[in-house]
Amino acid sequence: MSIDTHSHHDAHADGGHHEPPEVVDGRQRMSIWLFIAGDALTLAALVFTYLYLRGVNTSGHWMSMVGYPGPQLPGGHSWAYYSGLDSLPEPTTVVTGPLSAGLNWLGTAVTIISAGFIWAAERALRVAKNKSAFTLLAAIGTLVALAGIFISFHQLAAVPQILSVHADNTVLAFTAYGSSMIIIIGSAAVHLMLLVFLGVGLTLRSIRGAISVENWYQSRLVRMFWVWVAISAVAVSALTTTINTIH
Amino acid sequence: MTTTLEHKAPVIKHEGGGLARHQNFLTGLIGGVAGAFIAWAISHHLLAQDVRTTSDAVAVLTGCGWIVGFWFGIGALNAPFAWLIGKDQTRKDQLYYAGEDQGTKRYWKYCTDHKVVGVQYIVMTMVLLGAGGILAMAIRTELIVPGNHFVDQQVYNGFIAVHGMLMILALIVAVAGPWGNFVVPIMCGAKDMAFPRLNALSLWTLVGAAGLLLTTLAVGSLTMGWVVLAPITDQAAVGMDFFALAILVFTVSTTVAGVNTICTVFTMRTKGMTLERLPIMVWGAIIAAALGLYAFPYFSLVEALQILDRTFSTSFFIGNGGGTGWLQANLFWLMGHPEVYVILIPAVAALFEIAAVMARKPVFSYRTAVAGMVGLAGLSILVWAHHMFTTGWAPTLGGPFMVTTELISIPTGLFFLVLIGTLWRGNIWMKLPTVWMFGFIANFIIAGITGIYLSDIPIDNQLHGTMFVTAHFHYVFVGSVLFGAIAALAFWYPKVTGRFLDEKLGRISFWLAFIGVQVTFLSMFISGLRGMPRRYASYSFIFEHTNFLTTIGAYMIMAGMLVLMAAVIYCWNHGEPSGSNPWHANSLEWLVSTPPPLENFDVLPVITEDPYNFEKEMVLS
Repeated sequence: MSIDTHSHHDAHADGGHHEPPEVVDGRQRMSIWLFIAGDALTLAALVFTYLYLRGVNTSGHWMSMVGYPGPQLPGGHSWAYYSGLDSLPEPTTVVTGPLSAGLNWLGTAVTIISAGFIWAAERALRVAKNKSAFTLLAAIGTLVALAGIFISFHQLAAVPQILSVHADNTVLAFTAYGSSMIIIIGSAAVHLMLLVFLGVGLTLRSIRGAISVENWYQSRLVRMFWVWVAISAVAVSALTTTINTIH
Repeated sequence: MTTTLEHKAPVIKHEGGGLARHQNFLTGLIGGVAGAFIAWAISHHLLAQDVRTTSDAVAVLTGCGWIVGFWFGIGALNAPFAWLIGKDQTRKDQLYYAGEDQGTKRYWKYCTDHKVVGVQYIVMTMVLLGAGGILAMAIRTELIVPGNHFVDQQVYNGFIAVHGMLMILALIVAVAGPWGNFVVPIMCGAKDMAFPRLNALSLWTLVGAAGLLLTTLAVGSLTMGWVVLAPITDQAAVGMDFFALAILVFTVSTTVAGVNTICTVFTMRTKGMTLERLPIMVWGAIIAAALGLYAFPYFSLVEALQILDRTFSTSFFIGNGGGTGWLQANLFWLMGHPEVYVILIPAVAALFEIAAVMARKPVFSYRTAVAGMVGLAGLSILVWAHHMFTTGWAPTLGGPFMVTTELISIPTGLFFLVLIGTLWRGNIWMKLPTVWMFGFIANFIIAGITGIYLSDIPIDNQLHGTMFVTAHFHYVFVGSVLFGAIAALAFWYPKVTGRFLDEKLGRISFWLAFIGVQVTFLSMFISGLRGMPRRYASYSFIFEHTNFLTTIGAYMIMAGMLVLMAAVIYCWNHGEPSGSNPWHANSLEWLVSTPPPLENFDVLPVITEDPYNFEKEMVLS
């Protein structure tokens, strides 16, 4: 390799050590885009899973399963009441409906609103140079995302369960549709938890002066990921509320 | 009397590092074990004991406890929590984490220096290969004669699965781990990786994943091979939970490493280091990293679904609830075939680099080499269903998938063209890296040609599930990738240690391994052609002679690897001194001192031409 005899002193290229924030920001933005790309591929795999299971509809069990409607046993009795499989009535095919579209879109709306607050927070810092507004808006956005987590848990609790009888035991199981919704909602909840972590970080760092009007770069990085999560929530809600039952 | 009081102000020595000063591999292990125990105790206490899935849920939570505890103990969580509370690292903290003035202790710590991480990857690769190799010897010993009872048949099944996955993980990192970390940043003219802490995270997460994978053997193992096909996984013991979790954790490691590599190359190249002047090894590293970013989300998802089916009674792969095993097969092989090239491409790129230096010629048709790697990566995402030709899944797609698979031979052919073209009429320096490179070329021809047979549906219908397939992919992984990885080790070993890898021991190792590969896998081809199925602990007497030969060959490979390991360990401190540029190469890693200093360059160089002009030898001024 030919090397110029006049090597250059590049104050900015310091291996991540004490570089100006705008230099670090360039490579951090690239990393965020790459992580978003990886996340998008995971989302694509989730969508593939959902559509594949719905498409093959194995034995017509996309939204049904042989067993008893869960979580209660037939007659509203507890498991102890029956004290074993022998005394249970013959299981039947239990059909479940799709989850509430309203709750689904509510969760998505909350994610969008939280992204809106973070976006507004970033603009307050970058454009209006108002750090107090940034701190307040970031904190509100984080709290809204926290509300999104609770909605996700509420959705998870609403996924219909079926009491499935196995040879060795009996479990509350989920149909293919229910299973797909669990991984999709669970994934959204994990993303929201990550956003809450990042939001708390933004807020605390702003309070402690690690984020300032001059050093606003991390707020943009967090906003990029936050907006991506909101976009993916819209895409998933649009899919799961319009393409779910099989007629 | 007057006295003079000499006032000495107390000296407050801020050494940096904080909590990390007390953290190392041992505290990581203690943290991991403690985390696992706490998670086990809590989950065991809280979860109902009369539910079928409880033991699996406890196993998964225990595994999660291990990982979180290990991360905490080794120091991986220090920076995220410091970030959370707005406490950024000082320069002294950064230097402490980079291992400044810590001697060999830094190799046992969460060190952010890319060269230390590279060495840690070398050790980790050898540990994984060693563990997988021991299992391979146990498998071959079981098969040395028909009806042997060296190990219990269920244990044998577990050995097959864990051997396969250990070797896959080892080979994924075998070139990209050590050399993607040690030399690629220097080759680009960077002072470190783009994200040094993430770099350390990727390494130590791999260590945590390996711990989970080895636990699989202890807690009830697997019966369905490394692919862990559903829905039979639903019946497996709790080892399956650790196995799936290990892969999930591993994908975190590779994703982080991939992002880091790409960002380093695209944002931290020194002035004048245009894309066309990049050493070819760097192209291999980023193409493999990009392909990994595409492939590994499928890997993590399929294992997450396996865990949910086993712990949460979902029905992704269970027919009773509307699931299907084909979903698992599709998701797995959407990852599985690109993964072969995530493994292969860095090894091939390293050989391009070695060929150019050892033949004193530029890489033949540099752009063709890059195009071949990009083409291979692109095509590899379109061939996954050839693994499912005989399953009955989508028979109408068999033809298109056969064509895409056979097209793979074109970029693979370009590799041979570039390698042979680079060596052609070169003044070849027949040193240890070159010897292993020629071993690669010979073995990769056999691997490639037998792959073309298997891509053909009528032949695949006959050979699928036989030892022929096993022999084919062992020619790819052992005969090709492992040989390439060892060539890379022999080539860059002097840069790491300042000493040559012993030529005599290296050649003994080579011939044992090379002859061993032919004896092992050519005889295995014959077993497969005669119809011997894979993964069975016993077999008919008609396969007796070829299996005996296969086992003898496998022992030869192991002997070769032991000799190599002895050479690596011995030469680290006692090998012949090499100086900083023993191969008279011109890429930047050879122009810095040996071992390279912390942050590599005092001042960053300016690049004015590519590294393959061997008519003049460059020095870093």
